[in-house]
Amino acid sequence: MVDDWIDGWNRVGHQTQFYGTALRNIGYVFAHYRIELLRIIAQMGLGAGALVMIGGTVAIVAFLTVTTGALVAVQGYTDFSEIGVEALTGFASAFFNVRLIAPATTAIALAATIGAGATAQLGAMRINDEIDALEVMGIRSVAFLASTRVIAGLVVVIPLYCVGVLASFWAARLGTTVFYGQSTGVYDHYFRTFLNPTDLIWSFVQSIAMAVAIMLIHTYYGFTASGGPAGVGEAVGRAVRSSLIISAFVVMMISLAVYGQSGNFNLAG
Amino acid sequence: MGQGRLVLASNAIGKPVRAVGGFYGMALDTFVQMFKPPFAWREFIVQAWFVARVSIVPTLMLTVPYTVLLTFTFNILLTEFGAADFSGTGAALGTVRQIGPIVTVLVVAGAGATAMCADLGARTIREELDALRVMGINPIQALVVPRVLAATVVSLALSATVILVGLAGAYVFCVYIQHVSPGAFAGGLTLIIGGLDVTIALVKAALFGLSAGLIACYKGISVGGGPAGVGNAVNETVVFTFMALFAINVVATAVAVKVTL
Repeated sequence: MVDDWIDGWNRVGHQTQFYGTALRNIGYVFAHYRIELLRIIAQMGLGAGALVMIGGTVAIVAFLTVTTGALVAVQGYTDFSEIGVEALTGFASAFFNVRLIAPATTAIALAATIGAGATAQLGAMRINDEIDALEVMGIRSVAFLASTRVIAGLVVVIPLYCVGVLASFWAARLGTTVFYGQSTGVYDHYFRTFLNPTDLIWSFVQSIAMAVAIMLIHTYYGFTASGGPAGVGEAVGRAVRSSLIISAFVVMMISLAVYGQSGNFNLAG
Repeated sequence: MGQGRLVLASNAIGKPVRAVGGFYGMALDTFVQMFKPPFAWREFIVQAWFVARVSIVPTLMLTVPYTVLLTFTFNILLTEFGAADFSGTGAALGTVRQIGPIVTVLVVAGAGATAMCADLGARTIREELDALRVMGINPIQALVVPRVLAATVVSLALSATVILVGLAGAYVFCVYIQHVSPGAFAGGLTLIIGGLDVTIALVKAALFGLSAGLIACYKGISVGGGPAGVGNAVNETVVFTFMALFAINVVATAVAVKVTL
């Protein structure tokens, strides 16, 4: 029992040390591993294995945000029409999509696609002793494998987040105006009135912070995988679990810090 | 040369089509075997406990931040209207209709399905499934049916937990941090949300568990290619279950809206 506690405590230390090393080596990557960095950015944008068949990471992010955007239309329109203000669905899209749904969905999609992919790759390399081989050849394994992926995650999340936000706006608008038959003028008026550019920038910052956290967690679990093929699978599962939790906390903390008591929101315009 | 390219092209098209066909084949097999005795009770209980054990902590850890985020954002809006007393209504609406199903999706796909796929994938790699077939035991009946049912039952239970924890978290956040009166919070809870909405949320959760279990088992028993294969299978499980479950959520919400009107 006590040993379990000590093990857990030590694991937290190892994990923190790994994150420190990975972040510290980012400069080294730009100096020495530029080609590997470009290769990983290209690979992450498209995804690996069978995921390429369905259009890669971009298509998955777009699909997930389209469904959540459609949810805003379905739920928002019906709830607002109960009290006779269905004209405000455009406002719901501008408010909830930006503040809650787009960052949360992008985090989920990132963890599932490039995050889990990185854990699977690194775990397989660890099991096949390829990481030890890298060390023997005098290559800094954490910089070469983990720091490059953190930078790549940071680069890839920028277009992915743009795709995600646009897809959720588009799906909410399409659902409200085409399927529920609201006039596009009414929808656009309330959408434009309440779309706050500052909120958009903060939600962008949230996504970038989450991308870094997600890539750090996933590379750590891949890097420390053990126990044969089953161990790689378990590491992927554990990594997805912890990165979902951490990204939820990151979204919550940044939201509370940014919007705080005032809320940065004014219904009167 | 030309023929080689043709084979390559037909492989590129054939592979995903075969995978979809294989998935439906396994799903049908599972439904047929579900009603054929003997039912693997022991495996069912072990699996249900296993899925519940890996899911319960992520459930609690995910529900709290999402509920706080939702009630916080909703209360900004309500305070602006001068209707902060209705924060209970907002919390019930968000928790029962959206946070409940979505967090259940995340946990079932991210925690339950990945663990299940990793476990089955490792067994496939070690050729344990072939060994079962040699002994005349149908792996679908012995391994897949109890797992799929366990995922369904556990996600039903999880969804109830998510709703309870979510409402409790929203209560603490609204009453102690945002200073809403406790009576108004409790009074507002049932203003829009009733028994029918809770039933719909539970039905959704059961559907999520069923499809996540089927996808995880299919990916697990069709693993190939060593350690990288198992890792990739788990990765694909996460992606496919998220996509399937988000799509089911939209459709189920639209149907539920029609039912409640």
